[in-house]
Amino acid sequence: MPTVLQNIFRFILLVLVQVLVLNNIQFLGYINPYLYILFILTLPVQMPRWFLLVLAFILGLSIDIFSNTLGMHAFATVFVAFFREGIIKLFTNIEEGNNPTPTFYTFGVSGYVKYIVVMVLIHHVTLFTLEAFSFVHFWMLIAKILLSSLVTILLILGIQSIKSK
Amino acid sequence: MKNLINFLIQYSVVFLFLLLEIISFTLIVKNQEYQKSVFLSSSNSMVSGMYEWSNSVVEFFKLRAANDNLSEENTALKNQIINLQNKLSTLKPETSDSIHFRIPPEMEYQFISAKVINSSTNKLQNYITLNKGAIDGIKIDMGVISDEGVVGIVKTVSTRFSVVIPILNPKIEISCKFKRNNYSGGLLWSGEDYRYANLTDIARHVELALGDTIITSGLTSAFPEGIPVGNIEDFKIKESDAYYKIKVKLAVNFHTLSHVKVINYLNFQEQKELEKKSEDQL
Repeated sequence: MPTVLQNIFRFILLVLVQVLVLNNIQFLGYINPYLYILFILTLPVQMPRWFLLVLAFILGLSIDIFSNTLGMHAFATVFVAFFREGIIKLFTNIEEGNNPTPTFYTFGVSGYVKYIVVMVLIHHVTLFTLEAFSFVHFWMLIAKILLSSLVTILLILGIQSIKSK
Repeated sequence: MKNLINFLIQYSVVFLFLLLEIISFTLIVKNQEYQKSVFLSSSNSMVSGMYEWSNSVVEFFKLRAANDNLSEENTALKNQIINLQNKLSTLKPETSDSIHFRIPPEMEYQFISAKVINSSTNKLQNYITLNKGAIDGIKIDMGVISDEGVVGIVKTVSTRFSVVIPILNPKIEISCKFKRNNYSGGLLWSGEDYRYANLTDIARHVELALGDTIITSGLTSAFPEGIPVGNIEDFKIKESDAYYKIKVKLAVNFHTLSHVKVINYLNFQEQKELEKKSEDQL
């Protein structure tokens, strides 16, 4: 039960941080980290996939309502949630029956870093491509994706390493 | 049979995934219409209430700049009053006997001041939320300006809030002209930098110089003539092109925008009806 409460709290906190703080970061005009994806990344590994998808949709839609981008965050978040299980299987070997939450300990440092990097990249590529909806500003799009992903990844790894101490 | 059920259960997740993605995608595509249904955009009262609260914190740090702006505007207005008083005193003997009270149509503008409670400058499609809505007389398609120049056009209105499409959004094009020779063109944002936009439709025979001032043309009902838009930062033309590529430095700093005025054009209804009538007659 505490994990459920913990996750609800994390959901609200991440949405607030995203909307009130991170969406206002306009460093160089390119960087806009999307930390809220951390919620999807830290859910227990064996969580039913349908439930994960529904949660991802609600999370994305909440961010959308606040940032006037209806559907975009929902699409990208559901997309990344769908591939989560496959990516976890690819980078780690968790035994059947275990249900750990993804951390440096349970995944191993290299497995966890790979997991975070791939997930964040999938999410950011989907999101920024949707936002542009064309490849007119191709290099700008690439720069935005790479810089923002880098910042998001560093933020997530930073937060998780502080928490694990 | 059991295998079949297992198969369906296994793929039910895929179906759910596809369903959710289709919903999201429809939302994106229909964004235009849904934005008008105020509920799901940031002029929703709960969302904007929260933004208002967060803005009151941020605004505190911008007070100094806002004060400077206000005092500058004050002095400008005072100067104007003195000038007008001088002119009035010279005109009085001539106008005392004539009964000519008609206000010229281009003067019938009213301003509704509003505060920015949410805005972005780093997206490809930026929006601004204001703390005034239908209750304060704001309607869709009204122009929005700040003390520095043109900001954008009102797109969605709820009772207490409204959402503005600023120049920083490829969805709008604002009709502008050069202050010194009246050639007009459309101002479009390039999507790259919140300080610059592009001016289109200026033919190659027009004479330009760096730093030329660009103002609104007054050809649309949203803005009266002569509100500053920006200055020419850079212009290019190739041998084969018929039109200039002009980069405009915007007069408004969207990054620090906090107080704006919404323009209420009192003759809007009459003008629209007249224009429609003449179109119907053709």
